[in-house]
Amino acid sequence: MIEKKQQIFNKLGLHARAAAKLSHLANMFSADIYLIYNEDKVNAKSLLGILTLAASVGNEITLQAAGADEQEAIQAIGDLFDRRFDEEI
Amino acid sequence: MAKDVKGIQLSRVRELNQLKITRVFNEKWLPNLVKHPRPQRPGLGLTGYLKHIQDGRIQVFGKTEAGYLSNLKEDEKTRCLKNYFALKLPGVIVAENIEPAADWIAMAARYATPILVSELHTAPLISRLSAYLYQYFSKKIKLNGVLMDVMGQGVLITGASGIGKSETALELVNKGYQLIADDVAEFYLDSNDDLVGRANEVIKNLMEVRGLGILNINDIFGASAVLEEKKLNLVINLEKWDAKKKYDRLGEDNQCFKILGLEVPLINLPVGPGRNLSTIIEVALRNFLAKKSGRLTYLEARSTPPPAPGGAAASREPGGETT
Repeated sequence: MIEKKQQIFNKLGLHARAAAKLSHLANMFSADIYLIYNEDKVNAKSLLGILTLAASVGNEITLQAAGADEQEAIQAIGDLFDRRFDEEI
Repeated sequence: MAKDVKGIQLSRVRELNQLKITRVFNEKWLPNLVKHPRPQRPGLGLTGYLKHIQDGRIQVFGKTEAGYLSNLKEDEKTRCLKNYFALKLPGVIVAENIEPAADWIAMAARYATPILVSELHTAPLISRLSAYLYQYFSKKIKLNGVLMDVMGQGVLITGASGIGKSETALELVNKGYQLIADDVAEFYLDSNDDLVGRANEVIKNLMEVRGLGILNINDIFGASAVLEEKKLNLVINLEKWDAKKKYDRLGEDNQCFKILGLEVPLINLPVGPGRNLSTIIEVALRNFLAKKSGRLTYLEARSTPPPAPGGAAASREPGGETT
């Protein structure tokens, strides 16, 4: 199992569209992937789960993955956060 | 996973519609913290017996307290109020729209205590207040799965991502059962030690079905298709059909799901072609209810001996009657 601290850079935070991109990406990996924020831990493959975190810009969350492709999963998801979910604003 | 609860500000209690708060005195101290789930009636506390008046408990005044205070002589009353309010209580709620006397308000103000007035009678006020506070202060835990009401029972459908939890739940909603929470359900122990689940405010009434997106079940099926919260009675875990795994063939497995120190009955349901899950879940519930009322189908099926020609009493199958 590996973990990575990740800051949220995009202006709108983990809103519906960003959460959809995130869960879509997480579903491409076989590893179990979780987001941890404020002691809440949710499955990154679950769109509604991500929404319940209500994490916004500037917050720091923890990415956690366990499974065969955990390394690639954390890399790809961290990258999506760093790219601000490809949002223009 | 319990969140670090220090207390709840009285200003949030004031905003609860169900408490029917009509007036507030000493508003400046509404940020005071309530640190205990049980409200308290001072009762003898007003006579000077203060040993059991606890710090952090919200106080409720009814006709008894108001009547007692109004019958006291002036100097006696001042002494009682002073001793009582000097405990720095988080706040007082006066029931039945009783007008707080000016000297209560003044003494409360001296010790930074707000006074709220509710139009409810004392008993419903206390029960609504403690129901809310219990939920607020109780240990909470989030579980992955869909929480539904099926035949009056709270059922949590769990299973790996993509196995079809939401699709099964949607079928159940379509059959007329109610959704409480999709994907993530939040559970707390209520004042009866029952495990009660509800949806996070952000995703209340919502369901995600791949290919259709996020659906608002309340908009599509109407208010009768959703419920605010429900006591958990049964967990149904969906898993991929595994030919090598031994599944319950008789219906005698009594598995349990452990959560917050409680045990909830658990059924593992294999998902395979030709298995209509919503119907299986419906039937599982009917069987669950039958079991609850004492009908054990598998025992009756296997332990009924053929009637013996001579003495029927001798032919009892050994061990057949025990569970």
